[in-house]
Amino acid sequence: MGMTLDFSILLRFTDALAMGLWTTIKLTLLCVVLGTSLGFVIGLLRSNGNAFIRGALGLYVELFRGTPVLIQLFWIFFCLPLILGVEFSNFVSATIALTLYMGAITSETFRASLRSVGREQMDACVALGLPRSAQILNVILPQAVLRAVPTLLSNAVSLFKESALVSAVGMADLMFIGQNISNNTARPVEVLTVVAVIYFIIAFPLTRAVTVVEQKLLRKFSV
Amino acid sequence: MNATTTNSALVEINDLHKNYGPNVQVLKGLNIDMMPGERVVVIGPSGGGKSTLLRVVMGLEQIQGGSLRFGGKPYITTKGSKTVIDSEVRKKIGMVFQHYTLFPHLSIMENLILAPRKVNGESRASARERGQKILERFGLAAKADAYPSQLSGGQKQRVAIARALMLDPKLMLFDEVTSALDPELVAEVEQVILNLAAQGMPMMMVTHDMWFARNVASRVIFCAGGVVVEDGPPEQVLGDPVEERTREFINRVFHIKA
Ligand SMILES: Nc1ncnc2c1ncn2[C@@H]1O[C@H](COP(=O)(O)OP(=O)(O)O)[C@@H](O)[C@H]1O
Ligand SMILES: [Mg+2]
Repeated sequence: MGMTLDFSILLRFTDALAMGLWTTIKLTLLCVVLGTSLGFVIGLLRSNGNAFIRGALGLYVELFRGTPVLIQLFWIFFCLPLILGVEFSNFVSATIALTLYMGAITSETFRASLRSVGREQMDACVALGLPRSAQILNVILPQAVLRAVPTLLSNAVSLFKESALVSAVGMADLMFIGQNISNNTARPVEVLTVVAVIYFIIAFPLTRAVTVVEQKLLRKFSV
Repeated sequence: MNATTTNSALVEINDLHKNYGPNVQVLKGLNIDMMPGERVVVIGPSGGGKSTLLRVVMGLEQIQGGSLRFGGKPYITTKGSKTVIDSEVRKKIGMVFQHYTLFPHLSIMENLILAPRKVNGESRASARERGQKILERFGLAAKADAYPSQLSGGQKQRVAIARALMLDPKLMLFDEVTSALDPELVAEVEQVILNLAAQGMPMMMVTHDMWFARNVASRVIFCAGGVVVEDGPPEQVLGDPVEERTREFINRVFHIKA
């Protein structure tokens, strides 16, 4: 008995899929902005802060980098309300979890890019007598941020895909909607393929953009 | 300036000791008195501490002993294990490095005006005006809005010199500024330095270019083993050295061009 694929059943669910996609995009954008800002501050503090701050932030970063995101989500969803005694909506919980995760990832990106601004740039600053504030604000930070841009874009695309994990804690994102439709129609192959294609259509141009941005920046700002 | 300042040394380096960590002793009691208007070329074997010497004079390094005076005033001293550098004195010194070290994210004009604005509080308009004049003098006026990556090595190095000159230094340091350049770009950079020399700019530099050393130097110092081995006019040190070690070095390194 051959199995025939019928993608037309998905036409009945375009509204639901669009809603799910919108949730995924909203969540990703919010967590990219919040998480990257957090990562920037943490990256700076870990490069310059005192030993205690560096140690504490190091622990946080390694914890979030070294454990499955799914478990982090469960933690924030089920344990944080118990600890704080406050109930959060699904969206807020997911935002907190993915922001903390993104903060840990991007802080490493910023730290590496800060380190990559070489000692020679610092020497040039001192030779020109630049005050400490100008060394940081006008020379080191702008270069570090520019160098971080391609990796930050990659981090953002990864988060877009990894955000599918929030479906496991009951958030109605694109993945969650897809799974529901697939359960209700008993057509998992068609439904999940289409969902994958939607993720891909958004992620692929972004990954290409990362390459283009990287080459542009390299050409313009190398040496 | 009055007579007393012109009679005393511009730079006095007294018994300078410099280590990198406990095991690498680079400068071992180095003494140099540089008079105003002198153009000192430092030569010596690779790894002998020439860059280190210039970096110390620029105030970029901690030192382990000795002291420096500039214009008759204390400049760098040690206090216990700490190095004390007078940053007001340091502002009178400019340095150009082997690898350009322009700020890659800033345009040429922004490279020139950053320090005058941040160090001296000069207005953007006034700094730009001076920057434009220097760029014209260096034949780089058309490059004001370009970025360093769009320039040739020779152009970058000339911008680096212009950037240092924007701060009106009383002493310029050049550390092998043509070593990273393609051969055909060397002359344009050396010419800029020769012009500065003709205008009386005091300078201390490291170079391996014999022709350039002969033409720019008023004094040549041969450093080896962390101390000054020979010190004299270029005709002597480059042409007919007194010390055997200098003679051997000159023959080995410069015999082709000499
Ligand atoms: N930052 C540093 N850390 C450790 N060792 C260094 C450092 N800079 C230079 N050295 C060492 O000090 C010695 C002198 O170096 P340098 O001043 O660059 O010599 P030169 O310019 O005469 O070739 C070399 O042995 C070099 O390896
Ligand atoms: Mg050197």
